[in-house]
Amino acid sequence: MNLGQQILNGLVLGHSYALIAIGWTVLLGVARLVNFAHGQMYMMGAFVAWMVMAKVGLPYPLALVTSVLAGVLIGFVMQEVMLGLTLRQDLVSIMIVTLGFGYVLHGVAAIAFGSTGQILDTPFSTINVYWNDIWFTGQDLFIIAVTVAFFIALQLVLAKSRLGRLARMVAEDPKLAILAGVDVRRVYFGVFAFQGAAVALAGAIVGPRTPILTSMGFEEVIITFFVVVLGGIGSVLGSYLAGLSLGLFTAFFGALVSPAYTTPAAFLVLIAVLVLRPGGLAAKPGGA
Amino acid sequence: MSALLEVRDLKVRYGGNLALSVGALSLGHGEIIGVVGGNGAGKSTLVNAVAGWSRGAPRVEGSVQLGGRDISALPTHRRVREGLLLVPEGKLIFGTMTVEENLAEGIDDPGEGRKPYSVEEIYALFPRLAERRGHLGSQLSGGERQMLGIGRALRLAPRALLLDEPSIGLAPKLVRTVLQSVSDLRAHGLSVLLVEQNVKAAIEVVDRVLLLERGQVVLEGTAAEMRNNPRIAEAYLGAQRA
Amino acid sequence: MATVFGTIAVLALAVAGFFVPAAFGGGGAVYSACVLIAIFAVMAYGLDLIVSDLGEVSLGHPVFFASGAYATALLSTEAGLSPVLTFVASLAVAMALALLVGFITLRLREFVFSLVTYAVTVVALTLAENWSALGGSDGIAGIPLFTVDAGIASFRAVTDRDLWPVAYGLLLATLWLVSAFRRSRLGNAALKVHLNPRLATMSGIDPQKTRLMVFLVSAPMTAAAGWLYAYQRAYISADLLSPYFLILMLTAVVIIGRRLLLAPLMGVALILVQEKFFSFGGDVDRIILGCALIVSLAFLPGGIAGTARALAARIRRSDDPARTNAKNEGAT
Repeated sequence: MNLGQQILNGLVLGHSYALIAIGWTVLLGVARLVNFAHGQMYMMGAFVAWMVMAKVGLPYPLALVTSVLAGVLIGFVMQEVMLGLTLRQDLVSIMIVTLGFGYVLHGVAAIAFGSTGQILDTPFSTINVYWNDIWFTGQDLFIIAVTVAFFIALQLVLAKSRLGRLARMVAEDPKLAILAGVDVRRVYFGVFAFQGAAVALAGAIVGPRTPILTSMGFEEVIITFFVVVLGGIGSVLGSYLAGLSLGLFTAFFGALVSPAYTTPAAFLVLIAVLVLRPGGLAAKPGGA
Repeated sequence: MSALLEVRDLKVRYGGNLALSVGALSLGHGEIIGVVGGNGAGKSTLVNAVAGWSRGAPRVEGSVQLGGRDISALPTHRRVREGLLLVPEGKLIFGTMTVEENLAEGIDDPGEGRKPYSVEEIYALFPRLAERRGHLGSQLSGGERQMLGIGRALRLAPRALLLDEPSIGLAPKLVRTVLQSVSDLRAHGLSVLLVEQNVKAAIEVVDRVLLLERGQVVLEGTAAEMRNNPRIAEAYLGAQRA
Repeated sequence: MATVFGTIAVLALAVAGFFVPAAFGGGGAVYSACVLIAIFAVMAYGLDLIVSDLGEVSLGHPVFFASGAYATALLSTEAGLSPVLTFVASLAVAMALALLVGFITLRLREFVFSLVTYAVTVVALTLAENWSALGGSDGIAGIPLFTVDAGIASFRAVTDRDLWPVAYGLLLATLWLVSAFRRSRLGNAALKVHLNPRLATMSGIDPQKTRLMVFLVSAPMTAAAGWLYAYQRAYISADLLSPYFLILMLTAVVIIGRRLLLAPLMGVALILVQEKFFSFGGDVDRIILGCALIVSLAFLPGGIAGTARALAARIRRSDDPARTNAKNEGAT
């Protein structure tokens, strides 16, 4: 085994996972919502970027912007449909509805983009870097850079800005936030739009690492779930660290044992965490 | 002079049970009305319903007018923006945020005749909060939380302030401090609907008193008239025993 | 008297149900659709117990469905076991898995429960795709015909028309089991745990044990559907764990209404009739099914049946002048 290569793979995977999961972390932390269409929104982000570049011929940065806008749009539509359920905090129904949305997105994508796999090539993914016996692409570096920048920016926004403060108010106590004059519905909409934007961006940035298929998304939800739970629900820094750990675990498990069984292995770790500290899940961010 | 806050035919139901029924209530400009009564008399239900707010899910009917404008159809956060501020009982501040952050949400352009307090003015009103500005809400004492709750409301340029049990759980000396600051606010033109179990302390600062029993107003009068009213004394004793 | 008439009516309905495919012309496609409706309805009833009675949303039921199908496929192709034995084995495997999943999720609630059961499905999918003992990504082909030899008589199902009595029998047995469950002490306990866990505990019900028991009733039901599905298709693969079956089950359970005995059957029938006879192609069908699920939860609380009832009530009440103008703004 090439140790350096596996560490690098793990780091790239880990940053990918963290970026994929961050929308959910905020969604769950602020609005107490879950979104099973997360994986399909990731898929949509990747395909919109692919279409903008391969079919329309626009450059990658514009493709990223288009993907993010598509993610925001999907988030808005979903929240519009589910507003009643959200305000009632009917989590179980919300969960199933988002599952339905994922299914619909899959159908829409198959019609719009076809069912064959595509390669999402970016200006960075064709750059190969060889350093001693380690190999990586420019896209790998781009993933790490974007993720780190994204997490720092998010942390700053949450901690310092008015937007972040409103989000934290709603996260801690939506009813009390109303008494502070906060329009909680708008915060919910904003959070859903953010989640859509973040995961679509992840699709357009992480997607190029593998061939993209409209049937993707099943596993991304689970990866996200792992990251969010292991990182402590709603914790931004925790998600980053959990994503990184999961990435390293996946890389090493794949190299040492079998790449096919990393998901079951990670699931065992998750179950261990759930059994050892079930309270860690109940702990709500901002709970006094 | 027309009243600032006019409430008509307010009815609140939990499930099928009528928890509150108030025919008419008006709060004048710069007036403090004390709402007193025993446990379960409907005091909190009254102020919550006026604000259009609740932690439960009651059915509320009736009209609420603020400054001559019917606000019954406005959602709670819009009523807040119109200047109807409720400081609820129980959890009234954000525990995961610092004192300063709790006070950060202000209102920039509240419109004619309304003035938001600046953070510095609130620190001047409650010097204790200034000392604790970097602490988390969850680290504050009961009295400090009340001050912070009131301060948070003042930042939003209230026209009418609805205070639900600001003295609950406080030491007698603090009760006087908090109630005195309420009285000071009136001097700045603020109108206050003050729910209090501590009738004896409340009656010192209010203009009028409203006695609630089983969701109905059973007695109403000026503080002077009510001070020696036996039913008020009874309510006071009841609260003492509770 | 009423119960006698009721029993007669139920029996008449059960007998009449058998002739539904014949009534619709009795063509091969009709029989195929009816067999699939029966199988998927049985699959959905397993989930219905968890959703409607226990009040949790299991996203792990495709695993039970697949476990029945895989057990049947493996044992009939590798060991040559008869349908009776594969049936028993399917139930046993499903119950073992139900115990495992039940223990893992014993203390989990709401969306964490659902997420973990969802993860179970995804893990099972990766296992089924990669584990060569389970056929890997090729799946298992060559499942023999449904044949039962009982000495003098023998039954051999070549077409879906031949398989219909088995499917219909399985459906009737499932319906009986579901209604018996709802009348049983366990069904009662499940509902109490669902509606008021604290009260349930105080009246001597162990919520965790109840959950586990309901799982043990529910999982074999769904597995039995997998058992028959393996014979019907003669080929199975990891596709059994794809979202299609999960969405199908969920939609069937919620679209008509909760805790109505025939609701999941009607739901499945509605979906399958659309897919088999009014199809717009796989992807559009996918959108239709997903939208059906979304609309029934977001806009029709109580499903189609609940909405119909509410509409009827509103029509009856519309001439009542004493309607109050209830307001509850802002109390979000």
